Amino acid sequence: MTDFLGFNSTELQAIVLSLKVAVYCSLISLPMALWLGYKMARYNFTGKSIIESMIHLPLVMPPVTTGYLLLLVLGSKGFIGHWLQSAFGLKISFTFYAAVIASVFVSFPLIVRSVRTAMEMVDTGLEDASRILGAGRIRTFARVTVPLALPGIISGTILAFARSLGEFGATITFAGNIEGETQTLPLAIYAYMQVPGKESATLRLVIVSIVISFIAMTLSEWFIKRIRHDKH
Amino acid sequence: MINIDIHLPRKNFNVVVQEKFSEGITGIFGPSGSGKTSLLQCISGLARPKEGYISVGGRILFDSVKNINIPVSERNVGYVFQEGRLFPHMSVEKNLRYGIKKQAIGKISYEEVIDLLGLRHILKSKPHQISGGERQRTALGRTLLSSPDILLLDEPFSAVDMSLRSQILPFIIRIQKLIQIPMLVVSHDIPDLLKLTNRLCIIKNGSCIGHGEYYDLLKDPSVSNIFGSGSIVNSIDMRVLHTNPQSRLTIVGWKQDGQEILITCDKSKGDYKEGQKLKIFIDADDIALSTEKTNNISIQNQVYGTVTDIIPKGATLLVVIDAGFKLVVEITLDSLSRMGIGTGSKIWCLFKSVAIDVAG
Repeated sequence: MTDFLGFNSTELQAIVLSLKVAVYCSLISLPMALWLGYKMARYNFTGKSIIESMIHLPLVMPPVTTGYLLLLVLGSKGFIGHWLQSAFGLKISFTFYAAVIASVFVSFPLIVRSVRTAMEMVDTGLEDASRILGAGRIRTFARVTVPLALPGIISGTILAFARSLGEFGATITFAGNIEGETQTLPLAIYAYMQVPGKESATLRLVIVSIVISFIAMTLSEWFIKRIRHDKH
Repeated sequence: MINIDIHLPRKNFNVVVQEKFSEGITGIFGPSGSGKTSLLQCISGLARPKEGYISVGGRILFDSVKNINIPVSERNVGYVFQEGRLFPHMSVEKNLRYGIKKQAIGKISYEEVIDLLGLRHILKSKPHQISGGERQRTALGRTLLSSPDILLLDEPFSAVDMSLRSQILPFIIRIQKLIQIPMLVVSHDIPDLLKLTNRLCIIKNGSCIGHGEYYDLLKDPSVSNIFGSGSIVNSIDMRVLHTNPQSRLTIVGWKQDGQEILITCDKSKGDYKEGQKLKIFIDADDIALSTEKTNNISIQNQVYGTVTDIIPKGATLLVVIDAGFKLVVEITLDSLSRMGIGTGSKIWCLFKSVAIDVAG
Protein backbone atom coordinates (compact mmCIF):
# COMPACT_ATOMS: atom_id res chain seq x y z
CA MET A 1 0.00 0.00 0.00
CA THR A 2 3.02 2.27 0.13
CA ASP A 3 3.40 5.01 -2.40
CA PHE A 4 -0.07 4.85 -3.93
CA LEU A 5 -0.37 8.08 -5.94
CA GLY A 6 2.69 9.28 -4.07
CA PHE A 7 1.06 8.89 -0.63
CA ASN A 8 2.86 6.87 1.98
CA SER A 9 1.03 4.43 4.23
CA THR A 10 0.60 6.90 7.10
CA GLU A 11 -1.03 9.40 4.79
CA LEU A 12 -3.27 6.79 3.12
CA GLN A 13 -4.32 5.48 6.52
CA ALA A 14 -5.25 8.98 7.62
CA ILE A 15 -7.32 9.56 4.46
CA VAL A 16 -9.15 6.21 4.69
CA LEU A 17 -9.68 6.62 8.44
CA SER A 18 -11.09 10.11 8.00
CA LEU A 19 -13.59 8.90 5.41
CA LYS A 20 -14.50 5.92 7.59
CA VAL A 21 -15.09 8.09 10.66
CA ALA A 22 -17.14 10.55 8.62
CA VAL A 23 -19.27 7.80 7.04
CA TYR A 24 -19.87 6.06 10.39
CA CYS A 25 -20.65 9.38 12.00
CA SER A 26 -23.23 10.26 9.31
CA LEU A 27 -24.81 6.80 9.41
CA ILE A 28 -25.16 6.91 13.18
CA SER A 29 -26.37 10.53 13.34
CA LEU A 30 -28.94 10.26 10.54
CA PRO A 31 -31.52 7.92 12.13
CA MET A 32 -31.20 9.69 15.49
CA ALA A 33 -31.56 13.07 13.81
CA LEU A 34 -34.62 11.90 11.83
CA TRP A 35 -36.32 10.71 14.99
CA LEU A 36 -35.35 13.65 17.17
CA GLY A 37 -35.87 16.22 14.41
CA TYR A 38 -39.40 14.89 13.84
CA LYS A 39 -40.22 14.93 17.57
CA MET A 40 -38.90 18.48 17.89
CA ALA A 41 -40.74 19.67 14.80
CA ARG A 42 -44.11 18.11 15.60
CA TYR A 43 -44.50 17.79 19.35
CA ASN A 44 -44.30 19.92 22.43
CA PHE A 45 -43.20 18.05 25.49
CA THR A 46 -41.83 18.94 28.90
CA GLY A 47 -38.08 19.39 28.86
CA LYS A 48 -38.06 20.17 25.13
CA SER A 49 -36.01 23.33 25.56
CA ILE A 50 -33.54 21.56 27.86
CA ILE A 51 -33.01 18.79 25.31
CA GLU A 52 -32.66 21.43 22.64
CA SER A 53 -29.95 23.29 24.60
CA MET A 54 -28.12 20.06 25.32
CA ILE A 55 -28.07 19.07 21.66
CA HIS A 56 -26.80 22.48 20.65
CA LEU A 57 -24.18 22.75 23.38
CA PRO A 58 -21.35 21.16 21.34
CA LEU A 59 -22.00 23.77 18.65
CA VAL A 60 -21.03 26.65 20.93
CA MET A 61 -18.56 24.93 23.27
CA PRO A 62 -14.90 24.66 22.25
CA PRO A 63 -14.49 21.13 20.79
CA VAL A 64 -11.71 20.47 23.28
CA THR A 65 -14.26 20.90 26.06
CA THR A 66 -16.58 18.41 24.40
CA GLY A 67 -13.69 15.97 24.11
CA TYR A 68 -12.78 16.50 27.74
CA LEU A 69 -16.37 15.89 28.89
CA LEU A 70 -16.51 12.72 26.81
CA LEU A 71 -13.28 11.60 28.41
CA LEU A 72 -14.74 12.28 31.86
CA VAL A 73 -17.77 10.12 31.12
CA LEU A 74 -16.52 7.47 28.71
CA GLY A 75 -12.80 7.37 29.56
CA SER A 76 -11.45 4.32 31.39
CA LYS A 77 -11.86 6.19 34.69
CA GLY A 78 -15.19 7.78 33.74
CA PHE A 79 -18.33 6.30 35.29
CA ILE A 80 -19.70 4.76 32.09
CA GLY A 81 -16.28 4.01 30.59
CA HIS A 82 -15.12 2.26 33.75
CA TRP A 83 -18.26 0.14 33.88
CA LEU A 84 -18.00 -0.79 30.19
CA GLN A 85 -14.42 -1.85 30.70
CA SER A 86 -14.99 -3.90 33.83
CA ALA A 87 -18.25 -5.49 32.67
CA PHE A 88 -17.51 -6.10 28.98
CA GLY A 89 -13.80 -5.41 28.63
CA LEU A 90 -14.71 -2.64 26.26
CA LYS A 91 -12.29 0.26 25.96
CA ILE A 92 -13.62 3.33 24.23
CA SER A 93 -11.28 6.26 24.80
CA PHE A 94 -8.28 6.46 22.48
CA THR A 95 -9.79 4.01 19.98
CA PHE A 96 -11.48 4.29 16.60
CA TYR A 97 -14.88 4.30 18.40
CA ALA A 98 -13.81 7.37 20.35
CA ALA A 99 -13.03 9.20 17.10
CA VAL A 100 -16.52 8.32 15.78
CA ILE A 101 -18.26 9.27 19.05
CA ALA A 102 -16.43 12.60 19.21
CA SER A 103 -17.50 13.33 15.63
CA VAL A 104 -21.10 12.37 16.33
CA PHE A 105 -21.36 14.72 19.31
CA VAL A 106 -19.82 17.64 17.48
CA SER A 107 -21.78 17.25 14.23
CA PHE A 108 -25.14 16.19 15.72
CA PRO A 109 -26.45 19.75 16.31
CA LEU A 110 -25.91 20.56 12.64
CA ILE A 111 -27.83 17.59 11.29
CA VAL A 112 -30.67 17.84 13.83
CA ARG A 113 -31.12 21.54 13.06
CA SER A 114 -31.33 20.94 9.33
CA VAL A 115 -33.68 17.94 9.65
CA ARG A 116 -35.90 19.74 12.09
CA THR A 117 -36.18 22.88 9.96
CA ALA A 118 -36.91 20.78 6.87
CA MET A 119 -39.63 18.84 8.69
CA GLU A 120 -41.18 22.00 10.07
CA MET A 121 -41.57 23.15 6.47
CA VAL A 122 -43.55 20.01 5.57
CA ASP A 123 -47.28 20.81 5.61
CA THR A 124 -48.86 18.80 8.44
CA GLY A 125 -52.04 18.83 6.36
CA LEU A 126 -50.36 16.42 3.96
CA GLU A 127 -49.53 14.10 6.85
CA ASP A 128 -53.18 14.26 7.96
CA ALA A 129 -54.28 13.47 4.40
CA SER A 130 -51.97 10.46 4.37
CA ARG A 131 -53.34 9.11 7.63
CA ILE A 132 -56.93 9.58 6.52
CA LEU A 133 -56.08 7.57 3.41
CA GLY A 134 -55.20 4.70 5.74
CA ALA A 135 -51.44 5.07 6.17
CA GLY A 136 -50.25 4.70 9.76
CA ARG A 137 -47.78 7.05 11.40
CA ILE A 138 -44.68 5.14 10.27
CA ARG A 139 -45.83 4.84 6.65
CA THR A 140 -46.80 8.51 6.63
CA PHE A 141 -43.37 9.41 7.99
CA ALA A 142 -41.58 7.29 5.38
CA ARG A 143 -43.70 8.20 2.35
CA VAL A 144 -44.68 11.81 3.01
CA THR A 145 -42.61 13.52 5.70
CA VAL A 146 -39.15 12.19 4.80
CA PRO A 147 -39.46 12.58 1.00
CA LEU A 148 -40.73 16.14 1.36
CA ALA A 149 -37.99 17.02 3.85
CA LEU A 150 -35.32 15.23 1.80
CA PRO A 151 -33.35 18.27 0.60
CA GLY A 152 -32.89 19.39 4.21
CA ILE A 153 -32.09 15.86 5.36
CA ILE A 154 -29.42 15.45 2.68
CA SER A 155 -27.82 18.80 3.31
CA GLY A 156 -27.83 18.10 7.05
CA THR A 157 -26.15 14.74 6.49
CA ILE A 158 -23.51 16.29 4.25
CA LEU A 159 -22.96 19.01 6.83
CA ALA A 160 -22.42 16.35 9.51
CA PHE A 161 -20.09 14.45 7.17
CA ALA A 162 -18.05 17.58 6.45
CA ARG A 163 -17.96 18.62 10.11
CA SER A 164 -16.73 15.14 10.99
CA LEU A 165 -13.99 15.37 8.36
CA GLY A 166 -12.79 18.60 9.91
CA GLU A 167 -13.11 17.48 13.54
CA PHE A 168 -9.92 18.13 15.49
CA GLY A 169 -10.25 19.30 19.08
CA ALA A 170 -12.66 16.73 20.51
CA THR A 171 -10.97 13.92 18.62
CA ILE A 172 -7.43 14.68 19.82
CA THR A 173 -8.67 15.03 23.41
CA PHE A 174 -10.90 11.96 23.54
CA ALA A 175 -9.36 9.67 20.88
CA GLY A 176 -5.78 10.83 20.81
CA ASN A 177 -3.54 10.98 17.76
CA ILE A 178 -2.73 7.30 17.17
CA GLU A 179 -1.49 6.50 13.70
CA GLY A 180 -3.78 4.06 11.88
CA GLU A 181 -6.37 4.09 14.67
CA THR A 182 -7.43 7.62 15.50
CA GLN A 183 -5.20 9.81 13.35
CA THR A 184 -7.64 11.39 10.91
CA LEU A 185 -6.66 13.89 8.21
CA PRO A 186 -6.66 17.04 10.36
CA LEU A 187 -4.64 15.25 13.04
CA ALA A 188 -2.17 13.95 10.44
CA ILE A 189 -1.81 17.44 8.98
CA TYR A 190 -1.20 18.81 12.47
CA ALA A 191 1.36 16.06 13.19
CA TYR A 192 3.19 16.70 9.89
CA MET A 193 3.36 20.40 10.60
CA GLN A 194 5.31 19.68 13.73
CA VAL A 195 8.03 17.86 11.76
CA PRO A 196 10.58 19.87 9.71
CA GLY A 197 10.91 18.80 6.06
CA LYS A 198 7.28 17.58 5.78
CA GLU A 199 5.99 20.77 4.12
CA SER A 200 5.10 19.14 0.79
CA ALA A 201 3.46 16.16 2.53
CA THR A 202 1.39 18.60 4.62
CA LEU A 203 0.30 20.44 1.50
CA ARG A 204 -0.69 17.15 -0.19
CA LEU A 205 -2.96 16.24 2.71
CA VAL A 206 -4.43 19.74 2.79
CA ILE A 207 -5.30 19.41 -0.92
CA VAL A 208 -6.83 15.97 -0.32
CA SER A 209 -9.07 17.31 2.44
CA ILE A 210 -10.15 20.22 0.23
CA VAL A 211 -10.97 17.80 -2.63
CA ILE A 212 -13.03 15.50 -0.37
CA SER A 213 -15.01 18.42 1.07
CA PHE A 214 -15.56 19.84 -2.41
CA ILE A 215 -16.86 16.51 -3.77
CA ALA A 216 -19.19 16.08 -0.80
CA MET A 217 -20.65 19.55 -1.23
CA THR A 218 -21.06 19.17 -5.00
CA LEU A 219 -22.77 15.81 -4.61
CA SER A 220 -25.23 17.21 -2.09
CA GLU A 221 -26.01 20.21 -4.31
CA TRP A 222 -26.60 17.87 -7.23
CA PHE A 223 -28.88 15.62 -5.18
CA ILE A 224 -30.92 18.50 -3.85
CA LYS A 225 -31.28 20.01 -7.31
CA ARG A 226 -32.47 16.66 -8.65
CA ILE A 227 -35.09 16.30 -5.93
CA ARG A 228 -36.35 19.85 -6.47
CA HIS A 229 -36.57 19.20 -10.21
CA ASP A 230 -38.55 16.10 -9.46
CA LYS A 231 -40.95 18.04 -7.31
CA HIS A 232 -41.45 21.08 -9.51
CA MET B 1 -76.41 5.82 8.96
CA ILE B 2 -74.10 8.19 10.75
CA ASN B 3 -74.75 8.87 14.39
CA ILE B 4 -73.08 11.87 15.96
CA ASP B 5 -73.33 13.25 19.46
CA ILE B 6 -70.30 15.35 20.21
CA HIS B 7 -69.06 18.16 22.39
CA LEU B 8 -65.90 19.91 21.25
CA PRO B 9 -64.73 23.14 22.87
CA ARG B 10 -63.33 25.67 20.40
CA LYS B 11 -61.82 29.09 21.00
CA ASN B 12 -64.94 31.22 20.64
CA PHE B 13 -67.69 28.66 21.06
CA ASN B 14 -68.44 25.01 21.69
CA VAL B 15 -69.25 22.65 18.87
CA VAL B 16 -72.22 20.70 20.15
CA VAL B 17 -73.83 18.52 17.53
CA GLN B 18 -76.28 15.73 18.11
CA GLU B 19 -77.55 14.47 14.77
CA LYS B 20 -78.23 11.38 12.74
CA PHE B 21 -77.37 11.47 9.06
CA SER B 22 -79.00 9.03 6.68
CA GLU B 23 -77.66 7.61 3.40
CA GLY B 24 -77.26 9.87 0.40
CA ILE B 25 -75.94 13.40 0.36
CA THR B 26 -76.43 15.80 3.25
CA GLY B 27 -75.31 19.39 2.85
CA ILE B 28 -73.74 20.99 5.91
CA PHE B 29 -74.40 24.69 5.59
CA GLY B 30 -73.44 27.62 7.78
CA PRO B 31 -71.46 30.84 7.83
CA SER B 32 -67.66 30.72 7.88
CA GLY B 33 -66.26 29.80 11.26
CA SER B 34 -69.46 28.22 12.49
CA GLY B 35 -67.88 24.84 13.22
CA LYS B 36 -68.66 22.95 9.99
CA THR B 37 -65.08 21.88 9.42
CA SER B 38 -64.68 20.99 13.10
CA LEU B 39 -67.54 18.54 12.66
CA LEU B 40 -65.76 16.84 9.75
CA GLN B 41 -62.52 16.79 11.73
CA CYS B 42 -64.23 14.99 14.60
CA ILE B 43 -65.66 12.34 12.28
CA SER B 44 -62.29 11.79 10.60
CA GLY B 45 -60.43 11.74 13.91
CA LEU B 46 -58.29 14.82 13.23
CA ALA B 47 -59.99 16.51 16.16
CA ARG B 48 -60.98 14.73 19.32
CA PRO B 49 -64.27 15.71 20.95
CA LYS B 50 -64.14 16.33 24.69
CA GLU B 51 -66.98 13.89 25.05
CA GLY B 52 -69.48 12.12 22.89
CA TYR B 53 -70.12 9.40 20.44
CA ILE B 54 -69.58 8.89 16.70
CA SER B 55 -70.58 5.86 14.66
CA VAL B 56 -70.73 5.22 10.95
CA GLY B 57 -72.88 2.37 9.67
CA GLY B 58 -73.01 0.78 13.12
CA ARG B 59 -69.23 0.88 13.58
CA ILE B 60 -68.21 2.95 16.60
CA LEU B 61 -65.40 5.38 15.77
CA PHE B 62 -65.44 7.32 19.00
CA ASP B 63 -67.07 6.80 22.35
CA SER B 64 -65.84 8.77 25.32
CA VAL B 65 -67.77 6.60 27.80
CA LYS B 66 -66.41 3.29 26.52
CA ASN B 67 -63.05 4.97 25.88
CA ILE B 68 -63.02 4.10 22.18
CA ASN B 69 -61.05 6.31 19.80
CA ILE B 70 -60.21 4.57 16.53
CA PRO B 71 -56.99 6.01 15.03
CA VAL B 72 -57.37 8.26 11.99
CA SER B 73 -55.75 5.70 9.67
CA GLU B 74 -58.21 2.97 10.64
CA ARG B 75 -61.46 4.93 10.51
CA ASN B 76 -62.18 4.32 6.83
CA VAL B 77 -63.41 7.85 6.44
CA GLY B 78 -62.91 9.59 3.11
CA TYR B 79 -62.06 13.27 3.51
CA VAL B 80 -61.62 15.53 0.49
CA PHE B 81 -59.96 18.69 1.70
CA GLN B 82 -60.73 22.16 0.47
CA GLU B 83 -57.22 22.59 -0.94
CA GLY B 84 -56.99 19.04 -2.27
CA ARG B 85 -53.80 18.27 -0.37
CA LEU B 86 -52.23 16.21 -3.13
CA PHE B 87 -48.75 14.93 -2.36
CA PRO B 88 -46.52 17.31 -4.36
CA HIS B 89 -43.68 14.79 -4.78
CA MET B 90 -45.89 12.13 -6.37
CA SER B 91 -47.45 11.88 -9.81
CA VAL B 92 -51.23 11.92 -10.18
CA GLU B 93 -51.13 8.14 -10.57
CA LYS B 94 -49.16 7.64 -7.35
CA ASN B 95 -51.46 10.02 -5.54
CA LEU B 96 -54.47 8.03 -6.73
CA ARG B 97 -52.95 4.71 -5.70
CA TYR B 98 -51.77 5.94 -2.30
CA GLY B 99 -54.81 4.82 -0.34
CA ILE B 100 -55.68 1.62 -2.22
CA LYS B 101 -55.92 -1.13 0.35
CA LYS B 102 -54.50 -4.51 -0.56
CA GLN B 103 -57.12 -6.73 1.04
CA ALA B 104 -60.26 -4.70 0.59
CA ILE B 105 -62.30 -5.02 -2.58
CA GLY B 106 -63.19 -1.44 -3.39
CA LYS B 107 -66.62 -0.39 -4.56
CA ILE B 108 -64.93 1.24 -7.49
CA SER B 109 -61.83 0.19 -9.41
CA TYR B 110 -58.81 2.28 -10.33
CA GLU B 111 -59.74 2.16 -14.01
CA GLU B 112 -63.32 3.24 -13.28
CA VAL B 113 -62.12 6.18 -11.23
CA ILE B 114 -59.77 7.57 -13.85
CA ASP B 115 -62.43 7.25 -16.54
CA LEU B 116 -65.21 8.67 -14.39
CA LEU B 117 -63.14 11.68 -13.33
CA GLY B 118 -61.36 12.14 -16.66
CA LEU B 119 -57.84 11.77 -15.29
CA ARG B 120 -56.29 9.43 -17.85
CA HIS B 121 -54.34 12.12 -19.71
CA ILE B 122 -52.64 13.51 -16.58
CA LEU B 123 -51.62 10.31 -14.77
CA LYS B 124 -47.90 10.99 -15.22
CA SER B 125 -48.11 14.68 -14.32
CA LYS B 126 -47.18 16.19 -10.99
CA PRO B 127 -49.86 18.10 -9.04
CA HIS B 128 -48.33 21.51 -9.85
CA GLN B 129 -48.52 20.78 -13.59
CA ILE B 130 -52.29 20.27 -13.71
CA SER B 131 -55.20 22.68 -13.47
CA GLY B 132 -57.14 23.48 -10.31
CA GLY B 133 -60.12 21.45 -11.47
CA GLU B 134 -57.93 18.46 -12.26
CA ARG B 135 -56.33 18.71 -8.85
CA GLN B 136 -59.74 18.68 -7.22
CA ARG B 137 -60.79 15.63 -9.24
CA THR B 138 -57.54 13.84 -8.42
CA ALA B 139 -58.13 14.48 -4.71
CA LEU B 140 -61.65 13.13 -5.05
CA GLY B 141 -60.45 10.06 -6.95
CA ARG B 142 -57.70 9.37 -4.43
CA THR B 143 -60.24 9.42 -1.62
CA LEU B 144 -62.69 7.17 -3.50
CA LEU B 145 -59.96 4.59 -4.10
CA SER B 146 -59.30 4.30 -0.37
CA SER B 147 -62.77 2.63 -0.27
CA PRO B 148 -64.22 4.78 2.51
CA ASP B 149 -67.46 4.02 4.38
CA ILE B 150 -68.41 7.69 4.29
CA LEU B 151 -67.31 10.63 2.17
CA LEU B 152 -66.67 14.06 3.68
CA LEU B 153 -66.26 16.94 1.25
CA ASP B 154 -65.00 20.22 2.68
CA GLU B 155 -65.98 23.25 0.58
CA PRO B 156 -65.74 21.50 -2.80
CA PHE B 157 -67.02 24.61 -4.58
CA SER B 158 -64.66 27.13 -3.08
CA ALA B 159 -62.06 27.19 -5.84
CA VAL B 160 -60.62 30.67 -6.26
CA ASP B 161 -61.38 30.61 -9.97
CA MET B 162 -65.11 31.25 -10.40
CA SER B 163 -65.27 29.19 -13.60
CA LEU B 164 -64.02 26.20 -11.62
CA ARG B 165 -66.50 26.48 -8.83
CA SER B 166 -69.24 24.28 -10.10
CA GLN B 167 -67.02 22.12 -12.29
CA ILE B 168 -66.77 19.41 -9.66
CA LEU B 169 -70.54 19.21 -9.22
CA PRO B 170 -71.46 16.72 -11.99
CA PHE B 171 -68.65 14.44 -10.82
CA ILE B 172 -69.98 14.34 -7.28
CA ILE B 173 -73.46 13.54 -8.60
CA ARG B 174 -72.06 10.74 -10.79
CA ILE B 175 -70.13 9.28 -7.88
CA GLN B 176 -73.20 9.28 -5.67
CA LYS B 177 -75.10 7.42 -8.39
CA LEU B 178 -72.32 4.86 -8.80
CA ILE B 179 -71.37 4.10 -5.21
CA GLN B 180 -74.04 4.66 -2.66
CA ILE B 181 -72.12 5.80 0.39
CA PRO B 182 -73.27 8.57 2.69
CA MET B 183 -71.75 11.95 1.88
CA LEU B 184 -71.50 15.06 4.01
CA VAL B 185 -70.77 18.13 1.93
CA VAL B 186 -69.71 21.26 3.77
CA SER B 187 -70.30 24.55 1.99
CA HIS B 188 -71.26 28.12 2.65
CA ASP B 189 -72.64 28.41 -0.85
CA ILE B 190 -76.34 27.59 -0.85
CA PRO B 191 -77.01 27.52 -4.61
CA ASP B 192 -74.18 25.05 -5.23
CA LEU B 193 -75.15 22.92 -2.27
CA LEU B 194 -78.77 22.76 -3.40
CA LYS B 195 -77.64 21.45 -6.76
CA LEU B 196 -76.34 18.41 -4.91
CA THR B 197 -79.01 17.81 -2.35
CA ASN B 198 -82.16 19.19 -0.76
CA ARG B 199 -81.28 17.68 2.59
CA LEU B 200 -79.43 20.20 4.69
CA CYS B 201 -78.02 20.48 8.16
CA ILE B 202 -77.61 24.08 9.24
CA ILE B 203 -74.78 24.88 11.64
CA LYS B 204 -74.53 28.16 13.51
CA ASN B 205 -72.08 28.96 16.32
CA GLY B 206 -71.24 25.28 16.65
CA SER B 207 -74.79 24.01 16.98
CA CYS B 208 -77.17 22.45 14.51
CA ILE B 209 -80.18 24.76 14.26
CA GLY B 210 -82.02 22.88 11.54
CA HIS B 211 -81.79 19.57 9.76
CA GLY B 212 -84.11 18.32 7.07
CA GLU B 213 -85.60 19.11 3.70
CA TYR B 214 -84.67 22.51 2.37
CA TYR B 215 -88.33 23.38 1.69
CA ASP B 216 -89.22 22.69 5.30
CA LEU B 217 -86.21 24.60 6.63
CA LEU B 218 -87.31 27.68 4.69
CA LYS B 219 -90.38 27.94 6.90
CA ASP B 220 -88.28 28.50 10.00
CA PRO B 221 -87.34 32.21 9.98
CA SER B 222 -84.27 31.73 12.20
CA VAL B 223 -82.94 29.23 9.69
CA SER B 224 -83.98 30.97 6.48
CA ASN B 225 -82.26 34.15 7.73
CA ILE B 226 -78.97 32.29 7.49
CA PHE B 227 -79.64 31.48 3.84
CA GLY B 228 -79.34 35.22 3.34
CA SER B 229 -80.35 37.13 0.27
CA GLY B 230 -78.71 34.69 -2.12
CA SER B 231 -80.81 33.25 -4.89
CA ILE B 232 -82.79 30.12 -4.24
CA VAL B 233 -82.33 27.23 -6.60
CA ASN B 234 -84.81 24.50 -7.30
CA SER B 235 -82.99 21.22 -7.78
CA ILE B 236 -85.17 18.46 -9.18
CA ASP B 237 -84.41 14.85 -10.06
CA MET B 238 -85.71 14.03 -13.53
CA ARG B 239 -85.46 11.36 -16.17
CA VAL B 240 -84.95 11.99 -19.89
CA LEU B 241 -88.10 11.05 -21.81
CA HIS B 242 -87.14 11.99 -25.37
CA THR B 243 -84.37 13.83 -27.09
CA ASN B 244 -84.67 15.80 -30.26
CA PRO B 245 -81.28 16.50 -31.86
CA GLN B 246 -82.75 18.81 -34.54
CA SER B 247 -84.28 21.36 -32.21
CA ARG B 248 -81.67 20.70 -29.54
CA LEU B 249 -84.45 20.26 -27.03
CA THR B 250 -84.47 17.46 -24.56
CA ILE B 251 -87.67 16.51 -22.84
CA VAL B 252 -87.39 15.38 -19.29
CA GLY B 253 -90.21 14.43 -17.02
CA TRP B 254 -91.29 12.60 -13.98
CA LYS B 255 -93.34 9.52 -13.73
CA GLN B 256 -96.40 10.32 -11.63
CA ASP B 257 -98.55 12.48 -13.82
CA GLY B 258 -96.87 12.49 -17.19
CA GLN B 259 -96.19 16.22 -17.25
CA GLU B 260 -93.21 17.14 -19.37
CA ILE B 261 -90.52 19.75 -19.04
CA LEU B 262 -88.56 20.91 -22.07
CA ILE B 263 -84.98 21.91 -21.65
CA THR B 264 -82.61 23.19 -24.24
CA CYS B 265 -79.72 20.87 -24.52
CA ASP B 266 -76.60 22.41 -25.96
CA LYS B 267 -73.84 20.05 -26.95
CA SER B 268 -71.81 21.69 -24.18
CA LYS B 269 -74.25 20.34 -21.64
CA GLY B 270 -73.67 16.82 -22.86
CA ASP B 271 -75.59 14.29 -24.89
CA TYR B 272 -78.42 12.80 -22.97
CA LYS B 273 -79.86 9.40 -23.63
CA GLU B 274 -83.45 8.41 -23.13
CA GLY B 275 -84.07 7.00 -19.69
CA GLN B 276 -81.05 8.73 -18.19
CA LYS B 277 -81.45 10.26 -14.75
CA LEU B 278 -80.38 13.84 -14.27
CA LYS B 279 -80.83 16.85 -12.08
CA ILE B 280 -82.29 20.09 -13.37
CA PHE B 281 -81.82 23.46 -11.69
CA ILE B 282 -84.11 26.47 -11.95
CA ASP B 283 -83.67 29.68 -9.99
CA ALA B 284 -86.72 30.59 -7.90
CA ASP B 285 -86.82 34.06 -9.47
CA ASP B 286 -86.80 32.62 -13.00
CA ILE B 287 -90.26 31.14 -12.53
CA ALA B 288 -93.47 33.07 -13.15
CA LEU B 289 -96.92 32.17 -11.85
CA SER B 290 -100.17 32.24 -13.73
CA THR B 291 -103.68 31.31 -12.68
CA GLU B 292 -104.41 29.83 -16.10
CA LYS B 293 -102.54 28.11 -18.88
CA THR B 294 -101.17 30.63 -21.36
CA ASN B 295 -101.01 29.63 -25.02
CA ASN B 296 -99.64 32.65 -26.87
CA ILE B 297 -96.32 32.83 -25.13
CA SER B 298 -92.77 31.79 -25.94
CA ILE B 299 -92.30 30.11 -22.58
CA GLN B 300 -92.30 26.37 -23.25
CA ASN B 301 -92.67 25.00 -19.75
CA GLN B 302 -95.99 25.33 -17.98
CA VAL B 303 -96.36 23.11 -14.97
CA TYR B 304 -99.54 22.74 -12.98
CA GLY B 305 -99.50 22.43 -9.19
CA THR B 306 -100.91 23.33 -5.81
CA VAL B 307 -99.56 26.00 -3.47
CA THR B 308 -98.54 24.36 -0.19
CA ASP B 309 -96.78 27.19 1.64
CA ILE B 310 -96.16 30.90 1.41
CA ILE B 311 -93.02 32.03 3.23
CA PRO B 312 -91.91 35.64 3.63
CA LYS B 313 -88.31 36.29 2.63
CA GLY B 314 -87.20 39.86 3.15
CA ALA B 315 -89.13 42.09 0.77
CA THR B 316 -90.38 39.15 -1.30
CA LEU B 317 -92.31 35.94 -0.80
CA LEU B 318 -91.47 32.35 -1.48
CA VAL B 319 -94.34 30.30 -2.80
CA VAL B 320 -93.86 26.57 -2.41
CA ILE B 321 -95.75 24.57 -5.01
CA ASP B 322 -96.37 20.86 -5.17
CA ALA B 323 -96.39 19.83 -8.82
CA GLY B 324 -95.46 16.21 -8.24
CA PHE B 325 -92.16 17.63 -7.09
CA LYS B 326 -91.55 20.70 -4.97
CA LEU B 327 -90.94 24.01 -6.65
CA VAL B 328 -90.10 27.29 -4.92
CA VAL B 329 -91.08 30.48 -6.72
CA GLU B 330 -90.04 33.93 -5.61
CA ILE B 331 -92.63 36.67 -6.18
CA THR B 332 -93.44 40.05 -4.68
CA LEU B 333 -96.09 40.66 -2.08
CA ASP B 334 -97.84 42.87 -4.60
CA SER B 335 -98.14 40.04 -7.13
CA LEU B 336 -99.51 37.74 -4.48
CA SER B 337 -102.29 40.03 -3.40
CA ARG B 338 -103.09 41.01 -7.02
CA MET B 339 -103.49 37.38 -8.08
CA GLY B 340 -105.20 36.30 -4.89
CA ILE B 341 -102.96 33.29 -4.35
CA GLY B 342 -103.23 31.41 -1.07
CA THR B 343 -102.39 28.02 0.33
CA GLY B 344 -104.28 25.40 -1.67
CA SER B 345 -104.56 27.56 -4.81
CA LYS B 346 -104.15 25.73 -8.11
CA ILE B 347 -101.57 27.47 -10.21
CA TRP B 348 -99.43 27.30 -13.35
CA CYS B 349 -95.67 27.73 -13.07
CA LEU B 350 -94.06 29.18 -16.16
CA PHE B 351 -90.38 28.97 -16.93
CA LYS B 352 -88.29 29.17 -20.06
CA SER B 353 -86.44 26.13 -21.28
CA VAL B 354 -83.23 28.19 -21.48
CA ALA B 355 -83.46 29.07 -17.79
CA ILE B 356 -82.84 25.45 -16.85
CA ASP B 357 -79.41 24.17 -16.00
CA VAL B 358 -78.62 20.47 -16.06
CA ALA B 359 -76.15 18.11 -14.41
CA GLY B 360 -75.85 14.37 -14.17
